[in-house]
Amino acid sequence: MAVRVQFENNNEVGVFSKLTNSYCLVAIGGSENFYSVFEAELSETIPVVHMSVAGCRIIGRMTVGNKNGLLVPSSTTDTELQHIRNSLPDTIKVQRVEERLSALGNVIACNDYVALVHPDLDRDTEEILADTLDVEVFRQTVAGNVLVGSYAALSNRGGLVHPKTTIQDQDELSSLLQVPLVAGTVNRGSDVIAAGMVVNDWCAFCGLDTTSTEISVIESVFKLNDAKPTAITSTMRASLIDSMS
Amino acid sequence: MASKPEYIRSRIVKTYDLDEIEKLIKDAKVAHCMLTDPPPVVDEESVMTRLSALTLRGSDGISCSCCGVGPFTSRAQQTAHYKHHWHTHNLKRKLFGRKPISLGEYNSRQDESSNVSASDSEGDDNPNKPATELFAAATRHCKAFYTNPKGQVFCIYRCLLHHRKEEMSLDGEGHVWARRVKELLSPGYGRWAVVMVSGGHFAGCIFTGGSDVIHKTLHSYTTRRGQGMSQATRDQTGNAPKSAGSSLRRYNQEQFLAHVQNILVSWNDDLKGCSLVFYRAVGPINQAAIFGKPSPLRKEDPRVRQLPFPTRKPTFKEVKRVFQTLASIEVYDTLQDFQKALLTVTGSKVPLKTNSDISIAESAKKAQKPPPKVQHDRAKSRERVPRELPTQVTSSEDEGPCYIDSETPPDWIKTLSEQSSNGVITNSRKDLLNDCALASCVDTDSETETVDKKETKKRKKPTKKVEKVDDKNQVTAVKKGPVKIPASVKKMWRSISDKDNVTLEPILEGWEGDIQAACNTQDPIDGNTALHKAAIAAKPEMVTQILSAGGDPCIKNHVLQTPYAATPHTDTRIAFRMFQAQNPDKYNYSKSQIPGPVTAEQLEQQKEKKAQQKKAKRQREKEKQADKLKANAFLLLTDEQKKKVPVHEQRCFSCGAQLPKVPFEYDDCKFCQVPCLHDHRKIRPLNMSV
Repeated sequence: MAVRVQFENNNEVGVFSKLTNSYCLVAIGGSENFYSVFEAELSETIPVVHMSVAGCRIIGRMTVGNKNGLLVPSSTTDTELQHIRNSLPDTIKVQRVEERLSALGNVIACNDYVALVHPDLDRDTEEILADTLDVEVFRQTVAGNVLVGSYAALSNRGGLVHPKTTIQDQDELSSLLQVPLVAGTVNRGSDVIAAGMVVNDWCAFCGLDTTSTEISVIESVFKLNDAKPTAITSTMRASLIDSMS
Repeated sequence: MASKPEYIRSRIVKTYDLDEIEKLIKDAKVAHCMLTDPPPVVDEESVMTRLSALTLRGSDGISCSCCGVGPFTSRAQQTAHYKHHWHTHNLKRKLFGRKPISLGEYNSRQDESSNVSASDSEGDDNPNKPATELFAAATRHCKAFYTNPKGQVFCIYRCLLHHRKEEMSLDGEGHVWARRVKELLSPGYGRWAVVMVSGGHFAGCIFTGGSDVIHKTLHSYTTRRGQGMSQATRDQTGNAPKSAGSSLRRYNQEQFLAHVQNILVSWNDDLKGCSLVFYRAVGPINQAAIFGKPSPLRKEDPRVRQLPFPTRKPTFKEVKRVFQTLASIEVYDTLQDFQKALLTVTGSKVPLKTNSDISIAESAKKAQKPPPKVQHDRAKSRERVPRELPTQVTSSEDEGPCYIDSETPPDWIKTLSEQSSNGVITNSRKDLLNDCALASCVDTDSETETVDKKETKKRKKPTKKVEKVDDKNQVTAVKKGPVKIPASVKKMWRSISDKDNVTLEPILEGWEGDIQAACNTQDPIDGNTALHKAAIAAKPEMVTQILSAGGDPCIKNHVLQTPYAATPHTDTRIAFRMFQAQNPDKYNYSKSQIPGPVTAEQLEQQKEKKAQQKKAKRQREKEKQADKLKANAFLLLTDEQKKKVPVHEQRCFSCGAQLPKVPFEYDDCKFCQVPCLHDHRKIRPLNMSV
């Protein structure tokens, strides 16, 4: 199910929120309208945490996470980090990283198993990323853009990438990620996919401007229509792929 | 390539040269560098077909297009490749528009130079790169670029083509732009107005076909000359000043506003006929002048456009220059010339001078060769012009001005000073001057040689005083030109300066006449009295005797020293002080520079105290010596022996100093300070195995 939502008249909801399979982060200081959309969809299954990073509300672009963990930039204050740790389930590892490319959300795109990162990302960060989020890390570009986190939205079931990504690149990336990918847009033609939407395995939120065609593409590629992930696609997937390859 | 420093000259065509323009813009197209790609349109059909077949392709047959590797046989091989540094390297090369390199090449390069980044010094230039650079330069530029079938490229200010707010699509062929440039030829398009307002200056002009039709300039005093900024701006910052100047400027500002608006209203009909109106008005105050209520101009009017380049003070000349600049179209004969020019201009700011500007400037240069004008740098001191000195005294008889020349004898001062001195001894500069004069007189022995001039002067004013002086006692007689030191005084001085002589008693006792005056008689050579002489000769007994005989301790000699200050000897000084203690009322000691009375007992006490201090010092030195010996003896011991020394006798292991109450220690070695410990450790590293 893909839902249209707006953050204070701004369609770039991916900037102000972060959605994973085990938690959802939303920026503080938004209107109750914004929160209620998320809470109505998610609060039964995962926690919705109100937070900020270094006093900023652009948490979606500053942080990166999946069901296993969360990475926050070094600018995050101690109180904010403590608040995140308190609010998230104990199984989720929260780690602060010293990285020159501090907008982690812009330079890292990941699902629960694979992460695509900016080619210039620090080796140490890559290691921390692999450990904390429990992912395989690949340095890649999307349609000639190094900001893979901005131009690709991934879930365990599919991915949406920059509209100018060539078919060949899409094939390569999808084989690397082991999920089907399509090139597309959100918010009536915006190519900054990840800024315009957030997605996990059973639901997506995109900007209010998103057209119905775009919605239908999103729903098909992320397979949101049949909702609720099964054990095969989430917990058993890794072992299945390993045995099959 | 494009970064050559040469400046490519372009031809200038004016917009009002209609024939030229017509030739130029025939079938003109927007230059390729201006055009943008159409925005990304997602091909819905292809997406849908992909969606319908949304399945993961088998990992076989998948290769890395970036590095040209594959197909990969297994997932492990694939991931291994994507994690390889070679892949990352190729990714970056691709981002910079370079071809990928093979693994072998990559490895050899890594071996060759691990520190040199691969992104430089490579010949494989991407042909796309200059194009994108050109695009960036072109879209930023304040001019629009066109090409015509003859291969010429020409540049026109964008503000001639469209209003700033109006966005003209550059996608595809840019037909809108081509249509706009054709408008330059339409009849009546050549009528433009230029209006500039700034800092109390107004200049406006309406041009038709390259010549000015109406123009008007206006200036009023509205800006604060000293501090800068206009009065109105200053007033807006709060607490407006109430000075006369500020109110004058405020009034002027109002008048200026009304005046400018009146001008614009009177031009109403002419402005209506203008196809374009260019203005420069920075800030709300200046804009109010142009777009205020009565003015016929409106900011929203699409004809009204801002000037796209900086301008100088609004004057008629400047307005004409602005018009000429706006109306000029740069024409480059080939695309290459244009590209070079554009990139050099945007890279390094080569001023785009129009031909007319250059010619005007050149002709102006030729016409008025600047005359060699003497410029005074007022910050520096100027060279002194040698001028003749006034030489001769013309009328010494009268009370006219009196000049000094080389012929004036040096002792003329004497006469002058005599006029002013009233013969009483005071410790003033005037006396000093006087004494100097006297001394010089004695030296030359020329008392009798007095020039008539001086004689007359001397007679003229101070006749009374001179007579008075004559009546005065010996002291003043001394001051006069013919100094006569009595033989007895001379004898006394001689006996004082005599080395062997200690006491003055026989002379003083057998003195005849005024003994006090004799004691206070000053030597004309250095101004010393008998007391001075005794003090300088360091004879305390004589000092006491002269003091009791009436020698004043307050008289100063020519170097302004009192007898006390003149003496180099301590005992003599004590003699002065003791005399003061014994006779506190005899003289006014305040001017004698004697620091204060002292008695014999006090002296005794001081002496005792000093002796004690000396003794204590000697004692301390002795102790120090002993301590040093002990320390040296201690230091000679080995560390093991040092450790065995009883605790209260132990010293710093490194420098032998006394230990503090709680010493710094390691390994049973004790130290007075941390640096000592460090030194010790450096010599003998800690045995870690212990």
